[in-house]
Amino acid sequence: MSSGRDVAISIRNFVKRFGDIVAVRGLNLDIYDREIFGLLGPNGSGKSTTMLTIATVYRPTEGDIYVYGKSVSRESDEVRKYVGIAFQEPKAMWIDKPIEILTWHARVIGYSMSDARRVVREVMEMLDLWEQRNKMFSELSGGTRKKVEVAKVLIQRPRVAIFDEPTAQLDVIAKHIVWKAIKELSREGSTVIVATNEMYEAEALSERIGIIYKGELKGLGTPAELKDKIPGGDIIEIHIEGSLDPLTKQMLAEKLGAYKIDHNNGLIRIYVDKGEEKITPAIEMLSNKVKIKMISMKEPSLDDVFMFFTGARLGE
Amino acid sequence: MRDDLRLLYLLIVYDIRKIMRYKVFILMRVAWFSVQVGFFAYLISHIVGQRFGGELTYYHFYLLGAYTSILFTVSMFRGYETAQEFEEGLIEYMLSLPIKRKILAIGRILGGSIASFILTLPMMLIVLFLLGAFDLFSILLAMASAMIFSIGIVSLSISLVFLIKSGDATDITFGILDSLLVRLSTVFYPAIILLSFIPYYYVSSVNPLSYLADFLRWIFYPQELSKYLINNPMNLAFFIIGFATSMLVLATIFIEKKIEGGGWK
Repeated sequence: MSSGRDVAISIRNFVKRFGDIVAVRGLNLDIYDREIFGLLGPNGSGKSTTMLTIATVYRPTEGDIYVYGKSVSRESDEVRKYVGIAFQEPKAMWIDKPIEILTWHARVIGYSMSDARRVVREVMEMLDLWEQRNKMFSELSGGTRKKVEVAKVLIQRPRVAIFDEPTAQLDVIAKHIVWKAIKELSREGSTVIVATNEMYEAEALSERIGIIYKGELKGLGTPAELKDKIPGGDIIEIHIEGSLDPLTKQMLAEKLGAYKIDHNNGLIRIYVDKGEEKITPAIEMLSNKVKIKMISMKEPSLDDVFMFFTGARLGE
Repeated sequence: MRDDLRLLYLLIVYDIRKIMRYKVFILMRVAWFSVQVGFFAYLISHIVGQRFGGELTYYHFYLLGAYTSILFTVSMFRGYETAQEFEEGLIEYMLSLPIKRKILAIGRILGGSIASFILTLPMMLIVLFLLGAFDLFSILLAMASAMIFSIGIVSLSISLVFLIKSGDATDITFGILDSLLVRLSTVFYPAIILLSFIPYYYVSSVNPLSYLADFLRWIFYPQELSKYLINNPMNLAFFIIGFATSMLVLATIFIEKKIEGGGWK
């Protein structure tokens, strides 16, 4: 990558097999220092395996992953000092209480007892967990358990913060609190990786997104870059009075480099790349020929992007 | 080094905290043990005592064997708990923490041993009360030997879980081990009796349960029970220490290798 940004995590020819099953196939990817990187893919795509390997829970079968220059295969003790992970399935003893789970976690990552108590309380209050601090973990709802899991990383504030589907099972308000906390982590200097199979979450959080499917990286870029990679993905919609003559339609197509132009009942649909750059020329061409009533532009959704890169819908 | 010790302490706290959650389980165990040593032990000692013509106070012999047996079972149970952590995914959480694998292995073994010892402490106290053994030095020596023995057994059980990697196979293996090791030992049968069944005697003479049970007997009844021991007291002590040390070292190396290689999955 030649973006000029420092690389925090470098994934090189990473392969992970579990017996005969190949979970990840030759992944190559750089994640930049302090960025929020979204790993988008359906369940079983290899995103959790990749993140668990970054966290040194698994070891690569082939290739390697470097976290701030330290190899997960050969220097895992060093790597673990950098990384904190919130698992997809909350990990805690069912008979334990959130306050104990988080205080013990805080102590392990190096807080003194008094600091641990303070930080745990702050994070629990932020996530609206404090009232439930003394309930058994088994008595908590799925969403509350998820918050406890996310709280571990927010307490740890590691250099590399990994969240595996951080807002699954959370209500809308809680989702926004978690997103805000994740963005705050990034602002403070953490490199954040968020695995998700929710399009709007990937788009709301991530500076760049990697699309992973069947263990392979299928697409990589900012949300805008990924959308721009769909040929004719932007649709300029122009409502006019009257009709559009075939010659103007042909000239419009040539000038804008349109993939297709539909014209039906006073609505012209122009399929182009980088639609935001084509609106002005379209208006200039049409304003002499027809009366324009309204103009709008539709971008492809990340669903369309995922479909374009993988040939599959996220639900599949 | 200081950080390693801090983490070791926190891992031990983790296991103690875990076992303290099983209050009902502990109470039931203590209640059942009380019935066992307070009623059945009297009954069986009366029968055995008549057979041996009162030469051996089998009740004394039996109580310390019963404690050894319960400590063994509870220590082996740490392996079950580890297997359960595999199923619940807690092992993944542990592996993601900034703890060296070696410290993690040692910490969980020591934590499991201390937790097992604490869980069986009420049973030990019941036995000591029934025996009328109140000599402080003897009590401390018994506690230390029980603790050391538990380290060896927990090392063995956690290693087996990492080796087997299957919940069902672990259940079967542990069930067989529990049955065989308790029975093929001097826990309930004196070595002098086992000599009548030579293969049985040889198995018992390398069984760590025999060594703890007999060492405890020597601590509290050096005269009365000494001729029924499977080895001399010094050898008994060395065997327990050697067993625990070697198992701890081997288990640490084995678990560390399994964890780091991803072999736990």
